[in-house]
Amino acid sequence: MFLKLNSINKTFTNTDKETLQDISLEVEKGEFICIVGPSGCGKSTLLNLVAGLDTPTSGEIILDGQQVTGPGPDRIVMFQEAALYPWLNVIENVMFGLDAAGHTKKEQLEIAEKYLRMVQLWHYRDYPIHQISGGMKQRTALARSLALDSKLLLMDEPFSALDKQTINILRAELEEIWEKNRKTILYITHSVEEAIYFADRVVVMAENPGRIKEIIPIRLERPRNIEGTEFTSLRKRILDQVQLSARKSMEVEFDKEEEK
Amino acid sequence: MKIKKAAGSIAFFAGLIILWQFLYVAATDWFEWAKPYAIPHPAGVWESIISLVTSGTLQAAIGSSMVRVLIGFFIAIIIGVIFGILIVNSDYLARNLKPLILGIQTLPSICWVPFAILWFGLAESAIIFVVVMGSAFSISLAVESGIKSVPPIYIKAAKTMGVSQKKLYLHVIFPAALPSFVAGLKQGWSFAWRALMSGEVMSASLGLGYTLMVGRDLADINQVMTIMLVIIFIGIIIDKGVFTTLENHILRKRGLL
Repeated sequence: MFLKLNSINKTFTNTDKETLQDISLEVEKGEFICIVGPSGCGKSTLLNLVAGLDTPTSGEIILDGQQVTGPGPDRIVMFQEAALYPWLNVIENVMFGLDAAGHTKKEQLEIAEKYLRMVQLWHYRDYPIHQISGGMKQRTALARSLALDSKLLLMDEPFSALDKQTINILRAELEEIWEKNRKTILYITHSVEEAIYFADRVVVMAENPGRIKEIIPIRLERPRNIEGTEFTSLRKRILDQVQLSARKSMEVEFDKEEEK
Repeated sequence: MKIKKAAGSIAFFAGLIILWQFLYVAATDWFEWAKPYAIPHPAGVWESIISLVTSGTLQAAIGSSMVRVLIGFFIAIIIGVIFGILIVNSDYLARNLKPLILGIQTLPSICWVPFAILWFGLAESAIIFVVVMGSAFSISLAVESGIKSVPPIYIKAAKTMGVSQKKLYLHVIFPAALPSFVAGLKQGWSFAWRALMSGEVMSASLGLGYTLMVGRDLADINQVMTIMLVIIFIGIIIDKGVFTTLENHILRKRGLL
């Protein structure tokens, strides 16, 4: 198995509450996994553990035969905020990680060009970060993440801070890119729609304590039509699942745009 | 608009000089509150400037003062950065050393003069010592707060990209903290400049502080005033011309201005 989470538990020392309880998950190479759940179910914590930015209280995470002990370039994270460096321009941001990976300047430029073209930002390569839109920032971050060609790509609600139109465009772009390079992706989202759109399997999490409630394989043909009948019935089913586990007070906060 | 603003500034300072002259005449002539030699006046200061410049004293004094303050400031930056990084990386030092540094920073730099003279004599190094002690601590606090204000997500992102500790410091933490660093250096500079004067008035080697004391010894109040004006002028030039320009450049580049 490519990625294996072996009964992960996580309890933060400052609270005695169990944030994650007995999380076990096996992911195959090239799989697109979406983790969906109500806020507070520990999905971001889980991503941090896989990234190696935090350590589980018990259990182990094994990627490609190696146990995860700390952060590393084989598991790139794309955050909700773009996390780009404002003192660098677009292409320099993409080259930043490549430099750390030990590529020569020439290779860095070549790789950066390839991925900036992929996310359609080549024209904006010399722009300072503060002069590009939120959607372009996330595309730059995506190019930076893809350029490092990691074994695993971890995405923590990367589009959730953007407006609806931009989200739709970026979703389609990511889908297209993924179809081409088939990277193994662990994608955290609070949007059930997004999860069904992307995932080979949707992992539904429940809260208090954070645990896996159900793993639902999605066998719809790609690219998926979010208005299709199969899609909508699947969405309703998963949404019910998630809401069942969410506290009543949480329901308001949850998946606002889909409730409308 | 620019011309209007410039004209306003000229009018302001011209008015200030006229007021000064008026007060001088009022105090020494009309009401005889003070002897003429105790109050500087614009014409006297102008004469003083001319004579100090023609004799070359002023240029030499500015030169040696600048060399001292730059050496001292440079050493202070090194010490400040080292202390700042130590405090950031150790909770123990942050708890214990930081309050001490905060305290030392409030100490007027003239308090270091006795030590300076005992340890270094009436030498160049004594004045540099006072400059270092006067500014290093405020720089170390600025370095610490600068590093602490770096958004954690920058560091997280760098770590997941496999960046080495050295590169993390040089290419992420340092540039991210740069705006606070420069603000800290600006403050450190003003401390250094003041400390320099504390040191120089105590010593007997050429410099602005010494020239000021010579003015006192010769009962030449116009020379004292001249040197004070020069000190103010240089302070403004470095603050606005160097640090504020640098700050604005950095902020503008990042779209923060």
